[in-house]
Amino acid sequence: MKRNLTQALESWIAAGFRSIGQIRINPQQDGSYELHHTEDTDREDLQLHTAVEDSRTLSFFDDANVYRPLKTAPTLRHGWRLHVRDTRELRTALDHFYPAMTALWLSHLDGKLPSVPLRETLGRQTGMYAATKRLLDDEGQELVGKACAASACAKRMLWSFSADQPLTHLPAADLSSEPRLLADGTREIPLLCQEACNILVAACREVVKKRERAQSPAPKAEGH
Amino acid sequence: MLHKPESALIIVGHGSTVNPDSSAPTFDHAEAIQRKGTFREVHCAFWKEEPSLRQVLHMVDSEDVYIVPNFISEGYFTRTVIPRELELSGPLTLQDGRRLKYCEPVGNHERMCELLLKRAAEVAPGVPTKECSLLIVGHGTNLNDNSAFAAKREVDRIRETGLYGEVFNTYMEEAPLVNEWDSYTTCPNVVVVPFFIADGLHSYQDIPVLLGIEQDTGLAASQRDIFRQNPYHLRGRTLYYASAIGTEPLFGELILDQAALFDLQHSNATPPLET
Repeated sequence: MKRNLTQALESWIAAGFRSIGQIRINPQQDGSYELHHTEDTDREDLQLHTAVEDSRTLSFFDDANVYRPLKTAPTLRHGWRLHVRDTRELRTALDHFYPAMTALWLSHLDGKLPSVPLRETLGRQTGMYAATKRLLDDEGQELVGKACAASACAKRMLWSFSADQPLTHLPAADLSSEPRLLADGTREIPLLCQEACNILVAACREVVKKRERAQSPAPKAEGH
Repeated sequence: MLHKPESALIIVGHGSTVNPDSSAPTFDHAEAIQRKGTFREVHCAFWKEEPSLRQVLHMVDSEDVYIVPNFISEGYFTRTVIPRELELSGPLTLQDGRRLKYCEPVGNHERMCELLLKRAAEVAPGVPTKECSLLIVGHGTNLNDNSAFAAKREVDRIRETGLYGEVFNTYMEEAPLVNEWDSYTTCPNVVVVPFFIADGLHSYQDIPVLLGIEQDTGLAASQRDIFRQNPYHLRGRTLYYASAIGTEPLFGELILDQAALFDLQHSNATPPLET
């Protein structure tokens, strides 16, 4: 069967999925949807948006208007509700709020989401990020425990540290692809991470550079 | 006219973890192309933002996929990073039942010169171009990047038109340096067009300081209360500063052209997929 993410999204909604990350999805009688922050359910002063493109701006800045380079950081802006006309627009909106996350969930359900160990991701880096190949096991595990903790990123890590080393500094709940059953009986589309993101790769570089600067003050010249 | 109702378009940008405006033109062009309905689906992907190059192919329903780098030139990203991250083996890659068609970067388009001239004319309306020095600002770098070469090529093309009193390449990191603009230009009016994809860190925050029209780098373009006002009177000249060339809406057409160019150049290289 041909892949159709819009249809898959529709089937998940029909099966009782009502949230993803910090977004609540409320299907309407006419086939449209209304989205808002999961913590804004009881608010009556939400600002209504009806253009699906507004999802981009809403996803880009937090409550303090600070840029959110990591969309799965638990810092989604409050105070809005977004009305989208159909499932296609819902897909577009969710692709702005949580880029690729519904797609990765579908690939996971189809058995087509291979995970990549961190060592493999770092091993193929070139230019300025080639330094990440020198990351030590201990400092790497510690970094992942902080940078990928639920307080920093809501994704579930499906990747291991290396082919023979699991992630040791994250709780089991952060490593599971199982959708959570929420108190109201609805389910949540999980945010999956099949491979370390560029933000973590950049953080790995910083850890290596900081250690190497402390060991030897003379910096090595590097490209991009 | 390009019509691809069964195909997907992926526009690849650099993105930034620091500046929210870096990805904006790539998203804007994607939305404009989506509205035209040329492709069945249009997606963006970024090196430093989400969706990443490692995620984006999961977002695609279509089997026929055009990938256009929204980059100002060939270089490290178009030749090394994008092919590596998308696991491309050449212009055409058959991967997991899909045809991935890797197109040339937007900056290679021959209409770039036309767009630079359009932007220069718009930013300084009514100013006689013969009494005007036009500066095309590039990054300039010793890295594996051809952005300086591409900027020189465009300046040569603009010079050939004979429209401007004088035309210069200028760079942030190599001579002729942008902060010395008043030492090598001679016309009373100076128009500056950043040869960048976005009004990101460089064109909106760094270059204005180098030019002398801002005291500090300040906030990102989208977070400023008041946008800059042209012209600026400084160093005995009248200076007009344009936004980055990549924010020009016509860039969307160039993206589509690069996809069409792939079909022209590789008309025999699109084998049927096994079903």
